[in-house]
Amino acid sequence: MNRHPVHVKINGVDRDGYVEARKTLVDFIREDLELTGTHVGCEHGVCGACTVLVDGQAVRSCLMFAVQAEGCEIRTIEGMAGPDGELHPLQAAFRDNHSFQCGFCTPGFMMTAASLLEEGPLSEDALRHELSGNLCRCTGYQSIVAGVMDAFERVSDSTGEGGR
Amino acid sequence: MRFVGESVTRVEDRRILTGRGHYIDDVRLPGMLHAAFLRSPFAHARITRMDTTEARNLPGVVAVLTGADIEAVTVPIQVMPQFPDFNSPVYQAMATDRVRFVGDPVAIVVAQSRYVAEDALELINVEYDPMRPVVSFEDAQDPNCPRIFDDIEGNVLYRSNSTHGDVDAAFAAADTVIHETFRQSRQANVPMETRGAVADFDPGSGDLTYYAATQSPQGCRFQLATYLNHPIDRVRVLSGDVGGGFGLKGPVHREDISLAAASRIVGRPIKWIEDRNEHLQASGHARDEQIEVEAAVTSDGRLLGLKARLLIDQGAFPCLPYAAVLFPNMIRDLLPGPYRFGAMSFEGLVLATNKCWNPPYRGPWEIETWVRERLMDVIAHRLGMDPADIRRANMFDGDEEDRSITGQHLAGITSRQSLERALDLAGYSAIRAAQELARREERLLGVGFATFLEAAPGPKENRVIPEDARVRLESNGHLLVMTPQGPHGQGHETTLAQIAADAMGLPLDHVRVVHGDTRQTPMNLIGTGGSRASTWASGSVMVTTRKVREKALGVAAAMMEIDASDLDIVDGMVVPAGAPSKAMPLSAIAMTAYLAPETLPPGTDHHLEAQETFTGDGVGGSGWSGGTHLCVVEIDRETGRVEIVRYVVVEDCGQIINPAIVEGQIRGGVAQGIAGVLYEKAAYDAEGQFLAGTFMDYLLPTATEIPSIEIDHLESVPVEGLDIRGVGEGGALVAPAALTNAIEDALVPLGVTINEQYLPPSRIMELTRMVPA
Repeated sequence: MNRHPVHVKINGVDRDGYVEARKTLVDFIREDLELTGTHVGCEHGVCGACTVLVDGQAVRSCLMFAVQAEGCEIRTIEGMAGPDGELHPLQAAFRDNHSFQCGFCTPGFMMTAASLLEEGPLSEDALRHELSGNLCRCTGYQSIVAGVMDAFERVSDSTGEGGR
Repeated sequence: MRFVGESVTRVEDRRILTGRGHYIDDVRLPGMLHAAFLRSPFAHARITRMDTTEARNLPGVVAVLTGADIEAVTVPIQVMPQFPDFNSPVYQAMATDRVRFVGDPVAIVVAQSRYVAEDALELINVEYDPMRPVVSFEDAQDPNCPRIFDDIEGNVLYRSNSTHGDVDAAFAAADTVIHETFRQSRQANVPMETRGAVADFDPGSGDLTYYAATQSPQGCRFQLATYLNHPIDRVRVLSGDVGGGFGLKGPVHREDISLAAASRIVGRPIKWIEDRNEHLQASGHARDEQIEVEAAVTSDGRLLGLKARLLIDQGAFPCLPYAAVLFPNMIRDLLPGPYRFGAMSFEGLVLATNKCWNPPYRGPWEIETWVRERLMDVIAHRLGMDPADIRRANMFDGDEEDRSITGQHLAGITSRQSLERALDLAGYSAIRAAQELARREERLLGVGFATFLEAAPGPKENRVIPEDARVRLESNGHLLVMTPQGPHGQGHETTLAQIAADAMGLPLDHVRVVHGDTRQTPMNLIGTGGSRASTWASGSVMVTTRKVREKALGVAAAMMEIDASDLDIVDGMVVPAGAPSKAMPLSAIAMTAYLAPETLPPGTDHHLEAQETFTGDGVGGSGWSGGTHLCVVEIDRETGRVEIVRYVVVEDCGQIINPAIVEGQIRGGVAQGIAGVLYEKAAYDAEGQFLAGTFMDYLLPTATEIPSIEIDHLESVPVEGLDIRGVGEGGALVAPAALTNAIEDALVPLGVTINEQYLPPSRIMELTRMVPA
């Protein structure tokens, strides 16, 4: 099957690949770029586990082909912590609020929440609505909602850190 | 105790938060191939012809193996043939001449990539001759229906009958007999990570290394060795982070055996990661059960006796190794719950149908709680009593002599306290007042509550399956704790470290919990399941760590020339009583024991490692986890939507290791219980065709559907030893009862009795007669 070159900038690093047109973005990220933090939960765009940021927008990387990401900037969970390993306020808030159990859905929630952080605080109801595109089977969601609410506060308390 | 009782940050978190977890799909081995299964589109059919030529010829395909190929190199499966009265059929890892449910695997393709493997599936030609499917309870009990297994007469695989007390006398003395049939629907575990594995047979050494997403690494090893007829010493199971299981990943699946066999045939590592459609249709379903019940009651609300008949639709194949045949007697024993009545007859049937099999799902015996607590409300409504009063009138207090009609010793249970506390916390009388107001406005507001007991670990006389831990003090003074558990989200690396750190006297980060490598961990077939971690695993870590502490103190005593009884270990330092300045770091003790044991006095035990068995000895408390959940709902007449206005939990799980983890377990369980009532159904049609193969059909609740859940603990402080009880299953056990009780309570003005558990808006609209049934 024909292959096509793909160039992306992922977590600030320029990467090239050479993939079949049918290869999904998530498989490209996991297999070709070897960034396995992004997970595959349903492959039909419902569970949100594969959510990544493409040019700042939260997208389901199982519903996008790698070739469609040509020239895009992508951010995954591996790009959240600082270069010194310092946790992003979202990561710290998820940790401190016990926002996950098995952790399989966490990267997706984290990236969805990262896109929300850019837009500023939400009410709990509005946040629950925004997070309803991601499925978690372990927590019953309350601790995830608490984690993101906490992250909103952390970001507004220390401006500059949260915009990262 | 310094760490036990604290919501310490989880050890697991950093790797998960930074995208560096090690889940099964992250395993990548040199030369690794990829597998995909071809599955039956029919519920019941004979395979008349299979042609794999075209698939084999596709570039990138390495092998196409049929059921017959796998049968030739594996041992036929027969689950629990020794279980009394169980007609346990013999079956194969993959279908050979006949398929028995939609999703039954008939061929496995091994290819260079999963994309190519899936392409090849399309090229396999299978011809089927459809047979009449066995789909309903009625079909399965009908002797005229085809047998699903030729070696079993009929499709009733198991029947349990028992009588407790004088049932006739109880019914003769009754003022009223209430007769209902309570029906649950098929639901599924549905972890966010589907099933998957990497089988790596090394033709050079003959070793089979199986990378598994399992709740029981040792159980997986044992079953693979058995069914592959492979020497168990040459089978090693490795398991990393597991993305949820809820019981599903405790069993060994037919695909596991097929995949490992394929790797042995091909001589290369093969990865199989199930897609979500396969998962929903073929991984496992549960809760497809009903109980027909008759209750003998007096006009003042005393329950005198019960007659119960249970049906379990276990699907086609008995689950390996936890067949549904295990459940009827558990359900029977727990059905009386915390209530005092003098007679019960019970019949329980396990039925084979042409559906997916039935692995354990979080509280596999849940129907006992649902039916009993539903029944209490039905009785209350029939007698015009308050549901709280009917419970008060029948509930045990937990006195020493309290024993249910099925023989469960209930000394120390806190059911009554949890009930009163829940009513109090929720403001029960205020809710009733609000309800009265609502009813005047023709709004459907309801409150429901339910009480459960979970034998985790159960009363002393019930405890049967012990568990080991292995603990080693390393040369740097840190502790390695090896457990046969298979954690999949519960945070064992944290909670077991909390236990060990306290038992040894170490900082938390000096303890490392190791699981998921069968060459290091003790043998235990169960692993993580049955709420065993907090009880049995914690107990085994505690007693084993104590043993290692004793050994370390023995070495320290010899080195320091101080009697061991005058030494303590505090924060990793061995401290002589009254002479803190002479303290030595544990690392110095350990270093001497490992590197210079000859310097110790003769006879000093310098082996700083132990494996001990926890048998339940030294455990205080009742052994019963339990509690009461209360739920307030408002039902929208126009849409049938059930809004959960409030959800209150009062829980007793004994001493709490880590409150944040406990509360996470409770909330997650409640969410699954709510989901089973309002959203999730693994539906089949009358032909046995599966109807819920995507997340658009099988509806997992989202953040907008699960309410905030208020939690209160009845925590008991152990007199001595430990009193940690299981907490993983309670939420899922009792939430369906609390919620359906609230829904019926809301519908009381319409005279509706709820006798089914699955109540989506469409069904609520029928019950409220907004639309015709």
